[in-house]
Amino acid sequence: MLPKGAQRDRVLKVVHDTSQEEVERVSRETGVPAADVYGAASFYTLISQPDAGARVCQGLSCRMAGSQELFADYLERGEPAIYASCIGQCDRAPAVLSPKMAVVSQRSAGAVSAANPELPMNLGGSDSLDYSALARSRELGGEGVLAALDASGLQGRGGAGFPAGRKWRAVLGETETERYVICNADEAEPGTFKDREVMLRRPHLLLEGLAICAETIGAKEVYLYIRGEFQEPIARLKAALAEVADGPLAGLNYHFVEGHGAYICGEETALLEAMEGRRGMPRIKPPYPTQEGFRGKPTVINNVETLACVPPIVLRGGEWFKGLGRTEAGTKLYCISGHVETPGVYELPLGVSLDELVAVAGGYVGEPVAFSPGGASSGFLPISERERALDFASLSEVGSMLGSAGVVVLNETFDLAEAACSQAIFFEDESCGQCAPCRIGTRLVHQALKGYLETRDPNALEHIEDLAWEMEEGSICGLGMVAALPLTSAIKHFPAAFSGGGQA
Amino acid sequence: MSAPLPDESFTLTINGQQTQARQGERVLGVAGRLGIEIPTLCEDSRLDPVGCCRMCLVEVGGQRRLQPACTWRAEAGQDVTTESPRIERHRKLLLEMYLADAPPVTDPHPLTPLNEISRLAEAHGALDRFPAACSEREGREDANPYIGFDPELCISCARCVRYCDEVEAVSAITLAGRGAGTTIATAGQIGLLDSTCELCGGCIDTCPTGAMHEKKPLAHTRTDSEVSTVRTTCNFCGVGCQLDIKVQDGRVVQIDSPPAGETLNDGNLCVKGRFAYDFIHHEDRLKTPLVRGADGNLREASWEEALKRAAEGLLGVKERHGADALGFVSSSRCTGEENYLVQKLARAAFGTNNCHSCAAT
Ligand SMILES: Cc1cc2nc3c(=O)[nH]c(=O)nc-3n(C[C@H](O)[C@H](O)[C@H](O)COP(=O)(O)O)c2cc1C
Ligand code: SF4
Repeated sequence: MLPKGAQRDRVLKVVHDTSQEEVERVSRETGVPAADVYGAASFYTLISQPDAGARVCQGLSCRMAGSQELFADYLERGEPAIYASCIGQCDRAPAVLSPKMAVVSQRSAGAVSAANPELPMNLGGSDSLDYSALARSRELGGEGVLAALDASGLQGRGGAGFPAGRKWRAVLGETETERYVICNADEAEPGTFKDREVMLRRPHLLLEGLAICAETIGAKEVYLYIRGEFQEPIARLKAALAEVADGPLAGLNYHFVEGHGAYICGEETALLEAMEGRRGMPRIKPPYPTQEGFRGKPTVINNVETLACVPPIVLRGGEWFKGLGRTEAGTKLYCISGHVETPGVYELPLGVSLDELVAVAGGYVGEPVAFSPGGASSGFLPISERERALDFASLSEVGSMLGSAGVVVLNETFDLAEAACSQAIFFEDESCGQCAPCRIGTRLVHQALKGYLETRDPNALEHIEDLAWEMEEGSICGLGMVAALPLTSAIKHFPAAFSGGGQA
Repeated sequence: MSAPLPDESFTLTINGQQTQARQGERVLGVAGRLGIEIPTLCEDSRLDPVGCCRMCLVEVGGQRRLQPACTWRAEAGQDVTTESPRIERHRKLLLEMYLADAPPVTDPHPLTPLNEISRLAEAHGALDRFPAACSEREGREDANPYIGFDPELCISCARCVRYCDEVEAVSAITLAGRGAGTTIATAGQIGLLDSTCELCGGCIDTCPTGAMHEKKPLAHTRTDSEVSTVRTTCNFCGVGCQLDIKVQDGRVVQIDSPPAGETLNDGNLCVKGRFAYDFIHHEDRLKTPLVRGADGNLREASWEEALKRAAEGLLGVKERHGADALGFVSSSRCTGEENYLVQKLARAAFGTNNCHSCAAT
């Protein structure tokens, strides 16, 4: 029960740390009870650890590239440093965020596909300010845009692959006319950094996709929820908006909301909680955001890449887009990192194989052993699956998923048990803690792996099957459901790595 | 038991039994009407359901995943199953995870309510077989004399936090941190006395594990003699909250509210009703009327004598100064009926309208 006039959705914007004085100040300023302010602030690492020094990424790709040694170097030099969950710079591994949120790495920014006007997102090309797709969408009208979307077969690129057209139609079907559009740019799945490149290279494409969505579903307010670690993309987008706010985008209100260090806020309902100033704990669905989303109103939440596909679809037609795919519709931004020559973001037909993707990325480094096709959440597959189509359906057939298409390749030099442990640490650190299967399960899985790595005694892993079963069955959201998958899939495909010996 | 249902009721099936439900009802409540028990931890009839403890998951026809009975809305034609090998495996494993993370104390004090985790673990054959989770949940130094918090026993169901917000509208406590470290905290971990807390103790009442606990009686009670419960009415004010008073060897050792839903106070009490009972056995407590003797000292007297003395005094004032020189103020501890009698005494017996109750402001 909030006091009248309290402004909960300002809390996370104005709070800087979790000190008593700061919490009291924000409570006075917003009218939100001090305990609620503290509870929300303490959830987010960028607020609860504001002056922690350098944030050394401990995502899988960075770990494989030596982040532990890097961390030790900091401590040796007496420079304050903490470990951070994946900071979305896997192509520049090992990467660090400076206290001022600047990316520090020895390697230059990753590669993208070369310019090619036939590619919908064409990251290598130049961004265009003409907003011709927006103009075209006005000619087509809402129904025309939706028909093009349906024909395109565009599946959500945030991980779940839900058809974009159906999501927009769901909001249109609601009687409530106050509606919202939110761009999910919280990109934090280990191995994933494609949305970052879209925002950096094609900000206008994204802004235009958002405008088409807003006009189609009858929304005036457009929100971009961007992880706070992405200061450069945020600045780029803001600058782009300034160029067109009074031009083609007049009439729409764009709002930027920065994340505060919590992977779970990429889950759409946790994102809504964060935008409303609360702890980022996913909501129970139904109701879905299309029914009761931001401030309880019908809301479209789409991933950056999904929205960036919209303008080309509107301009060149759904059939054209669909035809670009191999096994499923359209092109896809594949992120690739780990043991490959040229990590980066490559736009390829949806359904290419790992071998094809790696060929574009300059080839394997060393002898490939395993890969993770879609972020930590997709677990590990053996290299024998190198020819499998990297798409939604084919990967789910083998108990994995395309997810965010954050592909990480591991060669013979990296221990699968270490890799699984890296993912276990990530999920334990990022569990919101709301439900017991995930909160306790991620903890126990990490403890078991740690125990195994210390002793190489397979008994340390004796309860894993039960824990994984319950995490999958009992968790509220996707995080807990898949959090044991890196370990169970690694055990399944690489039993030798978990039978007491060293490497697989 | 089943009141006539309004027209918009519909039929659904639970465990093969057809039953009626109304729009908006949740599966948990409908099943409860049929006498079907579904275990819960984060549910409290006074709070909005949140479905976070995962204890009440059931199978709903057409749904791939198990769904929480506390939040899932009953719908016409729905087919719900609350007992199956899959559900039983889930319940057992979930409880085993709770046992690993928040193990109940093995030798609980006789006045601590039964830890729900212990009770459910026994009912579902859950064993303490997983390694301890060793989650680091922050506790807090707190000098308040009544309410303690033991993070080791906390299962983050947030009943206390939601109670403090939804029932008391006080919001003194919050979930804090995240993941395995999630705990219950005040703003900046200050003591409850420095927070907005009103020390009503409702957090203790709703806590299923005893993580929120009462500091007082644990220090007072002996463990070697029996404790009986006396249901009575709180006499601190006229609301008439019911109390369950715990008595040991003729002494009050703890006061509880009857369970929510059972009496008019619905499980709620205020700081006085729950914690202010030290006066009962205090040596300074007045037990008989006192009147002042000719020597100026107070001495014990009968009620008859004391009332006579009061009447004489009041009538004397009226005689010398008129009835409006008198005023009658009744205590906030009086009931409505007693307040009525006080004003009647003022008006009918003494002839003045000068009457008031201190509970009126
Ligand atoms: C744990 C978790 C994390 C997620 N993180 C992201 C994310 O960083 N970005 C994103 O777009 N979607 C993320 N999602 C998926 C969103 O919940 C949602 O499905 C998506 O934003 C919808 O957009 P789309 O239909 O365009 O894919 C995540 C889901 C889960 C369960
Ligand atoms: S599964 Fe994990 S992240 Fe998701 S709601 Fe439960 S505790 Fe939170």
